[in-house]
Amino acid sequence: MSPINAAGFRTADDVPEELRADLKALLLSLADNKRLLGMRYAEWLLGAPTLEAGIACSAMAQDEWGHSRILYAMLKNFGEDPGQLEHQREADQYLNSELLDEPPGEWTGLVVLNLLLDAALSIQFESLKDSRFEPLHYKVRKVLEEERFHFEHGRGWIARIAQTFAGREVLEEALTPVWISCLRWFGVPDGELIARLADAGVADAGPDELRARWLDRVGPIVHQAGLGLAEQDEGGAWRSTVELDWLDWDGSRRRSGGGSLDSETLAAVRGDKNRAMLMD
Amino acid sequence: MGHLSGEHLYEIFARQKREDRLEHIGTVSAPNPALARAYAWQTYDEQKWFEMIVAPREAFEAVNRDEQPFTLSPAEAR
Repeated sequence: MSPINAAGFRTADDVPEELRADLKALLLSLADNKRLLGMRYAEWLLGAPTLEAGIACSAMAQDEWGHSRILYAMLKNFGEDPGQLEHQREADQYLNSELLDEPPGEWTGLVVLNLLLDAALSIQFESLKDSRFEPLHYKVRKVLEEERFHFEHGRGWIARIAQTFAGREVLEEALTPVWISCLRWFGVPDGELIARLADAGVADAGPDELRARWLDRVGPIVHQAGLGLAEQDEGGAWRSTVELDWLDWDGSRRRSGGGSLDSETLAAVRGDKNRAMLMD
Repeated sequence: MGHLSGEHLYEIFARQKREDRLEHIGTVSAPNPALARAYAWQTYDEQKWFEMIVAPREAFEAVNRDEQPFTLSPAEAR
């Protein structure tokens, strides 16, 4: 169990070597997912269903990019070069969820990522607010303050789309794969990254507890939208009606194995068109 | 502002410090309170607000005038 009273780590150098590699992987995974999710929001700056939604996408993109920049900068302390991380990696070196490999085709796809994946990232962040790795404390609080409005935006749009029968059908189709993918994102119950970080007191919960927290947050909204993916047990806790399997799961990259960012996404996220300026 | 069917106007009030009075700072169009909150916070982000609240325009009652609350110009009132 978590060594609650174990000494805190003030810098990356204080973290024992094996744990340091895990912590680094966690920070990079959060940074990559936030950077890419920010890009997905930004793709809807023009063309969102209303002007307000476009403005919201712009604000959420800025938030996500800010969060990812904080995280990439923290990795400097772990011996990484943030510039290299941000601009010079290959697709299979990104630790992103498979949900971000390519753009969602439609607005419904974006708001599903907004509700489910953004919430999964926030749940993971929350688990670090009293982390033994102390540099995270203040930063986690700032991130979560902003994320509150991403959640409102996601749930508001899900409710709006679910108002009609046709909307619910589109929603169910877009939401089901994302639902399963987000549940898997926290990892197998034992032995993987998040479980090890929880055991070491870097995160305050392991994969199953994080899944339960995520379900309590998004379950009521999905249920209210008329989808059968979430149900409440007698104790009031929300659970998924879909059994998870771990076929093709790659625990080290926290995603389904094999795939990676498509070439357009990679070029955009690395800023390939701005290479001339990076040489300065 | 773009208006979709099923949308309502929400009036936004905010104050920068607890000792300030809430001021009417603007309006957003949204289909439900969750989106009204998100839009209000993300659109009117020019200040670091101590408090921001929203209410549907329909919730306001005119007291001394016959026209709808928040009517801006005489032309609009007619």
